[in-house]
Amino acid sequence: MDQVHNIGSQLDWIVLVIYMIAMLLFGTYFAKYNKDTNDFFFGGRRFTWWLIAMSIVATGISSHSFVKYSAMGFKYGFSSSMSYMNDWFFVPFFLFGWLPIIVYSRIKSIPEYFERRFSPSARFFVTILQLLYLVGYVGIGFLTMGKAIMPLMPESFTILGFQIHVTLMGLIWVTAVITGIYITFGGQTAVIFTDLVQGLMLLFAGLMIFFLGVSYVGGWHSFWNLLPASWKVPFAGFNSPAEFNSVGTFWEDGIAGSVGFLFMNMGLIMRFMATKNVHEGRKAATINILFMLPISAIVVGGGGWVAKAISVMNPKLIPQNVNPDSVFVFVSNILTGRGVFGFVIAAIAAALMSTVSTLLNATAAIWVNDVDKPIRIWLKKIKKDDPVDENRAMSVARWATVAFTTLGVIAVYAFNSYPTVYQAHAFFHATLTPPLMIAIFFGAFWKKFTPAGLITTVIGGVTLMLLGFRYPLELIGPLAHGTPYDPVHPFTYMAALYNLIVCTGVAVIITLAQKQFQKYVNHLKKNPNHSAIMIALVIFSAAVVLLDLTIVFGKIDILPLTATYFISLLMCVSIAFITTYYVKYDPEKQTAGLTVWSIHKAKEWFKGSKLNEREGENAIVHFKLIDSEEDVIRFSHKDMHKMAAEPGDLVYISDTRKWLGGLKSCHSVYGKPHDEDGIVYITNLHMGKGLFVKDRMLEAEKEM
Amino acid sequence: MPSFFNSWLPFLYLYIGGGIFFLAGLLLIRKAKSIDMRLKRDRFWWKVMIFGFFYFVVFHGILIIAALYW
Repeated sequence: MDQVHNIGSQLDWIVLVIYMIAMLLFGTYFAKYNKDTNDFFFGGRRFTWWLIAMSIVATGISSHSFVKYSAMGFKYGFSSSMSYMNDWFFVPFFLFGWLPIIVYSRIKSIPEYFERRFSPSARFFVTILQLLYLVGYVGIGFLTMGKAIMPLMPESFTILGFQIHVTLMGLIWVTAVITGIYITFGGQTAVIFTDLVQGLMLLFAGLMIFFLGVSYVGGWHSFWNLLPASWKVPFAGFNSPAEFNSVGTFWEDGIAGSVGFLFMNMGLIMRFMATKNVHEGRKAATINILFMLPISAIVVGGGGWVAKAISVMNPKLIPQNVNPDSVFVFVSNILTGRGVFGFVIAAIAAALMSTVSTLLNATAAIWVNDVDKPIRIWLKKIKKDDPVDENRAMSVARWATVAFTTLGVIAVYAFNSYPTVYQAHAFFHATLTPPLMIAIFFGAFWKKFTPAGLITTVIGGVTLMLLGFRYPLELIGPLAHGTPYDPVHPFTYMAALYNLIVCTGVAVIITLAQKQFQKYVNHLKKNPNHSAIMIALVIFSAAVVLLDLTIVFGKIDILPLTATYFISLLMCVSIAFITTYYVKYDPEKQTAGLTVWSIHKAKEWFKGSKLNEREGENAIVHFKLIDSEEDVIRFSHKDMHKMAAEPGDLVYISDTRKWLGGLKSCHSVYGKPHDEDGIVYITNLHMGKGLFVKDRMLEAEKEM
Repeated sequence: MPSFFNSWLPFLYLYIGGGIFFLAGLLLIRKAKSIDMRLKRDRFWWKVMIFGFFYFVVFHGILIIAALYW
């Protein structure tokens, strides 16, 4: 395949550079809204659904990017839309399970949830998996961004007499620096607001290319008739070809990918945590999946579809051997004029930048909450309940952003061996998602799921997955639904099904056998040599993990597959036994408010008192600043009655201008009522958080 | 013209396979009382979730028919 170079003009470059600078300035402007880590990571939990929905569009589109879907659209037609229209199946689990759990439990990161639900060791393992997942995602983002911009670049250029060859990796390092800067200073509020602009831009750019393309080939009728029927079907072939098929996409994207994106992508979770309440989060998720994703399917795949139609109409214009990952840029150059092409490329860069920035913000949040803080507690530099040193935490967050930006670029080297970004992303989903997905799913929806089940899934499940990677024909082949075997990248998609099955199997069997494990552990503790026996089990488990790693990565067949698998299963039992022995777990205490079965309790904890579920109306009021240190807001008796509120209930007040999307708003608690109707008493604390404007009216809403 | 294997079979696989997960989710949130059908707002969300599933079924169905016969 040919790598295209040097397309576009000087004007396009000027548009692109101006756009990048504008985004940098726009993003860093919002640094003033970062009063503390809560603002930096969660934007103060204040935004309305439409702002978050648009932000999710920008994040979602860029991760399932223009580049890879246009490539698949060019090669296979409308079936490139499959990944955008298979996300509804897990909506009930999300809207009424995971979303309220993460919001009401007031967790700051997914690993923190695992510590509260299971144990500190569970948090440790999940932190490792989460960071790998996020860094991998950042790597995919950078790879896509590099491939998108590459066709614009010359093969080489000269500065001060030095000839510099333009390479993909060189380009990725440069874009990584630009992205790192604005997320390092801007924080979550910057990400959300730049996403709003970027989301709109990329929707416009993608739809513009599609409609210009349809017009170019002579209108809708010509476009439709130019494409063969097999191209118009919205599904790929059931089980072939190996690089793109329906059954593989169902398991890799519809199941692993959807759950991965909705449930364990910390970047997306932080978006939902930035909504003002759970109801707004539900609206954002629903609107996004029902309407924005199908539109996004056209936005990202449309370039490939029209490129195909043009190549059928005029094969000289778009050669069949063009690199599929460059096809969007190539067709955009044909369809747009000078300057407009620069705008389209800027939109792609924007889309990719918004995803990467979201993920970098998420990795920083995990680093601060799940690595830095526990290490400082362990080193006895702070105590668990000490207040957060905000200046230090912000500094650590910014340095973490820089470090993970670098790691993300390094991850690109691993993905660059795949022929298309689509396949690289599929491999990533199929490999890293299943253990975390099972951990989150069973943790949130199955009360009986124990730390032994979780840790065995993470260690044992991953080991069995690695064996599948080493012996794909024997282990994944029987589950592959007849998809062809590609010896270089075997079962890129169907590996997801095998991985899900082994992780689920380990989780379910170990959890169901938990009583037996506990019985044997109790029995063992009476044995005077119990410590020595446990050390032997730890050594055995570590030895098996090492053996499996040697077999997989060293490609050495030390034992026959059956024996290796059997020993690995024994290792799973051993890990379950070790976890049951060492980890203290109180199922009553550690499931309360943290599973779908006790959401009501989680609500009460969130509020800090009994719920008041009487329905009231919102109140529009003027504000009066009073001198007080208390975090309470006081309304008149009449306004309290209108809102059906009681002192102690939670309240959200915001500027009445809806288009601000909640930017000027804050949360507080109702105080004792007064007698001045239409007036709310607020303090400097609320003014500082909400940045309210003098003489502007406020809208108050009782929460929950 | 694409065969059943490349048109309706992926459709059926997606909505039967995915439908099992979807139905399990609906039943679970009802059983766990995470969705409270006494509340007007929750009843609204229940309808939205069911609507969403059939919205995509119909959407995909129309696209296949258009590809095969139009």
